[in-house]
Amino acid sequence: MEQANSAIRVDGARKVYKTVGRSPGRAAVDGVSLEVEQGSIHGLLGPNGAGKTTTLKMLIGLVKPTEGTFKILGEDSTSPKGRRFLGFLPEQPYFPQHITAMQALRFYGQLAGVEKQDIDGRAVELLGKVGLDGTERTELSKFSRGMLQRLGIAQAIIGRPAVVVLDEPASGLDPVGQRDIRNLMLELRESGTTVLLSSHQLSEVEAVCDRVSILNAGKVAAEGHIDELLNISGQTSIRVRGLDELPAAVNALAGDVAVSGSVWVFSVEDSAVRSVVDAVDDAGGAVMSLAPKRESLEDYFARLIASARTGVAS
Amino acid sequence: MSRMLSIARAVIADCVRRRVPYVVVLFAGILAAAIPSLPDYGVGVEPEVFREVALALMYVAALVLSLALAANRLPSEFERRTAYSVLSKQVSRWEYLLGTWLGLSAVVAASVAAFTIVVQAVALISYGDFMWVLWVGTLSIALEMGVIVAVAVAVSTVSGPVVVVVASALILFVGHSRSTLVGGAGATDLSLFYPSLDSFNIMLPVAYGGGVSALMVLSMVMVFVGLSGIALLLGVVLLGKRDL
Repeated sequence: MEQANSAIRVDGARKVYKTVGRSPGRAAVDGVSLEVEQGSIHGLLGPNGAGKTTTLKMLIGLVKPTEGTFKILGEDSTSPKGRRFLGFLPEQPYFPQHITAMQALRFYGQLAGVEKQDIDGRAVELLGKVGLDGTERTELSKFSRGMLQRLGIAQAIIGRPAVVVLDEPASGLDPVGQRDIRNLMLELRESGTTVLLSSHQLSEVEAVCDRVSILNAGKVAAEGHIDELLNISGQTSIRVRGLDELPAAVNALAGDVAVSGSVWVFSVEDSAVRSVVDAVDDAGGAVMSLAPKRESLEDYFARLIASARTGVAS
Repeated sequence: MSRMLSIARAVIADCVRRRVPYVVVLFAGILAAAIPSLPDYGVGVEPEVFREVALALMYVAALVLSLALAANRLPSEFERRTAYSVLSKQVSRWEYLLGTWLGLSAVVAASVAAFTIVVQAVALISYGDFMWVLWVGTLSIALEMGVIVAVAVAVSTVSGPVVVVVASALILFVGHSRSTLVGGAGATDLSLFYPSLDSFNIMLPVAYGGGVSALMVLSMVMVFVGLSGIALLLGVVLLGKRDL
């Protein structure tokens, strides 16, 4: 049964590309199901060829699915009508080179159904929002790769869509641009917009996504809240300062110890936290933070893909 | 409808900014000015020969322009993914295809019209005659190129520019070869079903004053609507089945 607060719902997506001859074809996507809650940022991760882009393309009607249903806010998104709530940024977006940024946004604004009298104001506002102020009259042939990426994001959100699908939004951007895009995604979520983000940049996904789905070989390999996937059960990460060396009682319990100056970071069993904090206190140190121990998304991702290759369940 | 027109306007703006029509008009001016210097000009028939050569040049220029604009329009939009940003919005594939055809056809028609104006200016200077009858030829060429652009756009939904040019040239050849290819009446008379472009053959009546009746104009318009419609329908079906 469909949940009322689903912004995006994909059920049993399957895409088989026909091959030459009598072979049955190659399944690029095989039984992928996704559910994205309204007002959340959902990450779609996977190695090259995992089926991320094909899944996104089926969702927005660019690729014909072999099987499966695709809904955005309850409507079939493979039909034009079902895409009226959608904004999409393709990977490495290109535009006709001989038009200006303003003309491009006017065009996409018209297609997105923005009222004629509002288009220019909205275009100027968006160019400012994506860091392209003052480029209204600049021809796109003079835009850098990063500027085209920013314009792509502007065209995706010009119609104030309730759902935005971003395919590698930080591609081609410098660190400042990547930060701007992260902030923009958080701003969109703040305003109630749902974001489905496909990215290779795990740090970006880790920084903004509420939930992630990891695709591998055309199937969903893992799905869940980022904390559920990354938190290591039963372990706490502790950061202390003011010690030249760890007390012996702590040393005996601590694992993954790292030190930088007088700041120590290590992990212990949850049951040992109380005694470790007391030992640090007795030795004159200060506990800076206590947090559930977390695996980096990079490590988790690599482990998941490796276990899938060897056929060992993680 | 408004989305289709938006796409058509964008296609026109892109073509204008590429300066393609300007090249055609410049080409027209040079050629039209050179026509009176042709060696086979006969005494007493200069204006007629001028009209015939002008229409022939107009036809060739329009054909080159049509294929240059239409053969790679959709393939490059798919390859460079500019189509993704359009088709991911509330735009049907048929709106995208028809908008593209409409825009390209309008550019070709406007270029042919501009060519005609240049030819008229040369005619006025050379013969003191505006030769308004040339506009019937202009209409005929624009409509025939509308059909060719429709064929090119339809074929380009599933193939690259080389195949598009070959297919369009083939249609053009077949379209003007009804009498040769399907023969006479009787059991073998297939002419009713033949995709003939012969209705657009009005160069001689326009050039030599045989007259172009309203029925001939109506016939051109009907062939334009029918053949363009069939080609575009085929294009919509092919594009609808295609993965982008």
